[in-house]
Amino acid sequence: MRIIIVGAGAVGSYLAERLSAEGQDVVVIEYDEKRATQLQESIDALVLTGNGASKHLLEEAEADKSDLLIAVSNSDGANVLACFTATELGTKTTIARIEDPELREGADRLGVDVVIDPSATTAEELVRIVGIGGASEVIPFADGKLVMVGGIVSPNAAITDGPLRDLRIRQAEWGWVVAALVRDGRTIVAHGDTVVRAGDHALLMTTDDRVAEATRILGLKRRNLDRAIIMGGTRLAELTADAMSEAGVSVVIVEEDMDRCSDLASHHPQALVICGDPTDPDVLGDLDLGPKDVAIGLTGWDEVNLLGCLVAKASGAGMAISRFNRISYVGLLSGLGIDAAVSSRLMAASAILRFVRKGKVEQVATFSDTDAEALEIEVSAGSEACNKTLFDLNLPIGVIIGGISRDGTTFVPDGSTVVRSGDHIIFFSLPRDIEESVALFTA
Amino acid sequence: MTIKEPRSSQPLAVNLLKTVAYVLGSVLLFVAIAMAASAIVSVFYAEYETAMWIAISAGITALFGYTTRRLVPRPRSITVKQGFATVGLAWFVFSIFGALPYLLSGAIPNISDAVFETASGFTTTGASILADPSLLPKGISFWRALTQWLGGMGVIVLGVAILPLLGTGGMQLARAESPGPTPDRLTPRFQGTAKRLWIIYAIITVIEMGFLSVGDMTGFQAVIHSLTTMSTGGFGTEATSIAGFSNYTKWVITFFMFVAGVSFALHFRAWSKPVEYWKNSEFRLYGLIIVGAIVIVAGGLLGTDLEPITAVRDATFNTISLVTTTGFWSTDFGQWRPALQIMVVGLMFLGGMAGSTAGGMKTFRIGVLSKAAFADLRRLVHPRGIFVTRFGGKRVSDPVIEAVQSYFLFYMFLFMTSTFLLAFIDANLSEDLDLITATTAVAASIGNIGPGLGEVGPAGNYAGLPDLAKWLLSSLMIVGRLEIFPVLVLFTKDLWRR
Repeated sequence: MRIIIVGAGAVGSYLAERLSAEGQDVVVIEYDEKRATQLQESIDALVLTGNGASKHLLEEAEADKSDLLIAVSNSDGANVLACFTATELGTKTTIARIEDPELREGADRLGVDVVIDPSATTAEELVRIVGIGGASEVIPFADGKLVMVGGIVSPNAAITDGPLRDLRIRQAEWGWVVAALVRDGRTIVAHGDTVVRAGDHALLMTTDDRVAEATRILGLKRRNLDRAIIMGGTRLAELTADAMSEAGVSVVIVEEDMDRCSDLASHHPQALVICGDPTDPDVLGDLDLGPKDVAIGLTGWDEVNLLGCLVAKASGAGMAISRFNRISYVGLLSGLGIDAAVSSRLMAASAILRFVRKGKVEQVATFSDTDAEALEIEVSAGSEACNKTLFDLNLPIGVIIGGISRDGTTFVPDGSTVVRSGDHIIFFSLPRDIEESVALFTA
Repeated sequence: MTIKEPRSSQPLAVNLLKTVAYVLGSVLLFVAIAMAASAIVSVFYAEYETAMWIAISAGITALFGYTTRRLVPRPRSITVKQGFATVGLAWFVFSIFGALPYLLSGAIPNISDAVFETASGFTTTGASILADPSLLPKGISFWRALTQWLGGMGVIVLGVAILPLLGTGGMQLARAESPGPTPDRLTPRFQGTAKRLWIIYAIITVIEMGFLSVGDMTGFQAVIHSLTTMSTGGFGTEATSIAGFSNYTKWVITFFMFVAGVSFALHFRAWSKPVEYWKNSEFRLYGLIIVGAIVIVAGGLLGTDLEPITAVRDATFNTISLVTTTGFWSTDFGQWRPALQIMVVGLMFLGGMAGSTAGGMKTFRIGVLSKAAFADLRRLVHPRGIFVTRFGGKRVSDPVIEAVQSYFLFYMFLFMTSTFLLAFIDANLSEDLDLITATTAVAASIGNIGPGLGEVGPAGNYAGLPDLAKWLLSSLMIVGRLEIFPVLVLFTKDLWRR
């Protein structure tokens, strides 16, 4: 697949790295020369310098032969224009990141096939994490009936009691499966004799009615959170505030700029808006933080978010979630004083990867600290996997099946489960095995 | 995205050596295949004993390559710096394996000589310790030419083209091996680019074979000389290089030497649109340098008692041979008058275009260097003026200019210290090298040209140098072929610190 990426910011360069490592032909167009040179040093892709909306450059990038254009520069207008020009030149599909909802209307007539809004997806993810109160990620599959729950395993958690195979024998009703562990920066795909240790970042697959059980097994403290302290007045903060209020959580927004505060107060009457520095212990102290409070750092600066979260935790907040622009912080800093980290960039990348694998794959989830992906795929009639048990399937070593959704019911399969056509299979795979496993389930 | 090895449990040096072993494992298999091909040529010419020894060499090389490939796990990822160092080390190792056919068959029994000949082959230098290559068995002669052809476009680049060697890491390796400062991508992925470069290289080589075989060369000679022209190598089959062949053959080789000095990426682009050549400013500069040099040399030769047509032919052939660092000769330029010999030494430093198979400093660097120097001069006149160095209508960024300047500095520094070292070795071991021989032997080795002047001139060879000097020159050839940095980086402290 030939893919053009406009803009080598956090999302663009992350996608370029992922896609070129996968073997796609990637052309990146970046305006900033320094950034372009840097990217060219590190990935096997063609990097062009200039305005990604320019016809001349898109011709040089061979937009006429490209399957996909992903416009993720930081300007909405440039993204739409790049999609427009690329469509004119003959690119098959275009995706644009458009932050401003006003601009989204009519974008399809301008040649934008898919609009992604990372802020909105991030806000949804935040609500899910707060809802479960303790997990580091919560990713729904099969219309929300299967859920992947991630968390840092705490000491004395039930799951650390020996190899997974033994746990399975002891457990009367088996409703969850450990997909993978991330330990010391390395991804371990779980097998029968894998032993989970405290401190591992574990990813569990379970049905939606057993999420509570799954978090208990991981030893995650379940908190009933009823107040969210949102630091920063960004668009993401506004979206999160609205979503939280809707979910019945009361909202406090802390923002430093006075004018911005009045704006926020008039647009979000249900929230309490406080004007002050979110990293100032006095400001947070006035709020009397307690175990039922969650602090969410959503300013535009990673440093402020991290510091604000640490201060909030020290002042008594039950949970702290920080948003990071730099994707690598998300994996690196989770667990170090903050309970979870989100990145709208990562969200955008997940949304786009789903599109790259379009046609075969229904849903893709990417993670902050591993290159592996969780995918949902519909088994097609006549595929190799059809009518075989999972045991006979000879799955690649880096793949584990986490759940199956069949005719409206969902369950966690075992070795004797027979795969049928029309099943939705949710599996977790290391990057090198993704292609092989996708091929297995599709005709 | 993973954070790249946050808690690396291995020292860098171990990871580096593993990468070297992994890369070597793959590359040695290619070298073994090339040896096997030479063994087949040997069988074709009924040299059964030679064929056997070449086949044994191929076997040893393949076995070694296969076992390392099996034993060493695929490295996780490598950095640019490691890529450079890997290529530097790998070249030294496969130059030693490449010497096996010479040693085992007895064609070159001395190990220093055999390694010298191999290094000279892979680096497309063309310096030889043989007085008369026509005495070599055909299979060995073919192997000798094949080392040059493989080395011309790069053995590791070939590896990347055929195997997805190391994924992204492969690109870092190939970049370190490709001649020229800026990699010119023909496709988004480096593997596609490497494939196209090798294909165009092979096609032009076959075309040259066609032209040469209709002249006075035998089929075998046509093949050998095409392999060594397109790689700007310069190994031939005769003691008199090209001097003994017809004028037709000389002109054909002149043309193809010129072609080999042009970027192969440019050849690829210009295949359907020849006007691309003229649009490329490095190509225009390359042409200008060659025409200018020919005029000066021809002018010098016309003053002698040569016939004008011979003077022009000799000037054209030898000038292009020197600028493209091929090292063929149509007349013994060691006999030219002193002023022209100085010109010969000067030409040894130029080199062809970036992305060609030529050695030397490369036209691109010469262009940037002189333009940057001119900008500095203008800055003196207008202290407040802003002067931007442009090449090919595009601004050359400061880091690129600095890299070119430090390349020039390293090149010259290496040239001078090595000349001194060679003179030092000579003073203690043999005492028969004169200044001209020492200077040109070093210049011809770093620039991958081949023949120098004096004792190592066209009429002579490198056999008379002490063994230590041969090892020094062999290393210089590799340093020059890899454009200095990949080898020098091996001597930096940072590389070995964990």
